[in-house]
Amino acid sequence: MSGLQGLMEGRVVLVTGAGAGVGRGVSAAFASAGAIVGIGVRRPEAAEETAADVAAAGGTPVILRCDVTDSSQSAAAIAQLANDYGRLDAVVHNAVSNRSSEATDFEHTTLDEWEDHSSVTVRATWRLAVQAYPHLQKTRGAYLLMSSPAGIEGSERAPFYSAVKAAQRGFVRALAREWGPDHIRVNSVAPLAISPALENMKILEPERVKRIEGLVPLGRLGDPETDIGPPSVFLCSDEARYVTGQTLVVSGGRFTSL
Amino acid sequence: MGPSPTTLVITTRSGIGASVAKRLQDRGDAILQTDPSLDLTDAGAVAASLRSLCGSNTVDRVVLAAIDPSAFRAAPITSLSEAEWDQAAEYSMRAAFIALQQAHAVVADGGRVILVLPTVVTTGVAELVPLCTAVEAIRVMAKAVARRWGARSITVNTIEVELSAFMLGDDDADGVVMPAVPVLGQPALPPSSAVDDVLGLVDMLATPAAGAITGALLVADRGTVMQP
Repeated sequence: MSGLQGLMEGRVVLVTGAGAGVGRGVSAAFASAGAIVGIGVRRPEAAEETAADVAAAGGTPVILRCDVTDSSQSAAAIAQLANDYGRLDAVVHNAVSNRSSEATDFEHTTLDEWEDHSSVTVRATWRLAVQAYPHLQKTRGAYLLMSSPAGIEGSERAPFYSAVKAAQRGFVRALAREWGPDHIRVNSVAPLAISPALENMKILEPERVKRIEGLVPLGRLGDPETDIGPPSVFLCSDEARYVTGQTLVVSGGRFTSL
Repeated sequence: MGPSPTTLVITTRSGIGASVAKRLQDRGDAILQTDPSLDLTDAGAVAASLRSLCGSNTVDRVVLAAIDPSAFRAAPITSLSEAEWDQAAEYSMRAAFIALQQAHAVVADGGRVILVLPTVVTTGVAELVPLCTAVEAIRVMAKAVARRWGARSITVNTIEVELSAFMLGDDDADGVVMPAVPVLGQPALPPSSAVDDVLGLVDMLATPAAGAITGALLVADRGTVMQP
């Protein structure tokens, strides 16, 4: 992607949940922009395809074991990047619960299911911020959260996913004000993009995917690398130096009133 | 619904929820109120409490105002321990989930569920990151629930009032240092009673004319934070 060239040259970025879907695509986009990309994954063997994408895009892939529900793992991942490359410029928190694509039976489920969502999307959002803070303070860096349109309009099928993604947007607005004096920018992206779950749905329920695509004015679901990647890179780059506290909805026009 | 609706108020021991409950009681409304010491994240305890309060009856309205007081204590996020973050941010989200879930079992078809939250998250406030995080989560949880319960003609709406309203009658308020929040702006309207402001909207939402309002955010903060 030539439009990104040089935007993150020499910058060091950690992407969580980078093994597939949006995390994989965004990692490749950061590589196209010249970044050293920390590929945060629960299982390192799940990062090989992303690492290949990053290398193919001209970036430097660094595979990191980073289960964001484990404080010691996320701390170690951040420390490794900062120690080995001398800086950390951006953290992109993209990881979600394994159950994020499941329907939630709100009226009958238990706090265990809530915890599955909250531990990854709410607690880890806070914890990564705290762990990355001294490094981002030094580089006047950026913290980017991958939220969701569901976190704005509320999904009947996924009330927990909606709530935790909304939590991230509230977090962004408040932390942008708190960290503004440190020149650390805090933003989120709400993407509508092909994910592993949607890939499965294409096979199992192609009509449902067609219905979803029919709701998108641009007529298709976003590509993680070429549609979601560039705005994500932009928000972490110097080109967005005056943008903070925002949620950028990248949905092909599907959500226009948020 | 009849002319004297029964209102279930789920709230902490102080703040706007307790004040609304008292005002409803004072004016003679049929009120059921959960024990202020109830742990709203304990599904079994909340279910037992609602069974005890409601018996086999349903309620017409549910008012939920249950942000944990720790969320109002201003602090940079980097100063919080994990336990403090959990209490200030995540406890209130869990409480909202359990309270809504259990309320679903007792609210009548055509009933009204009303959440009361502070107007902080539209703009975001430094040093209140946990509160802003919790409030936005609860706002959107309410929208999701509004979609789920619409088939029973149950409406779910959110009323937002000024931050200070959550300190009403709070014995601990003296010990709470509120952050300077010029970002929230100055109210356009003269001072008024936040309790009356909430009650006015609760009553409005209870009318048949409001039956098509659901998933909405109604702001009664005297024009302090005007939605874009």
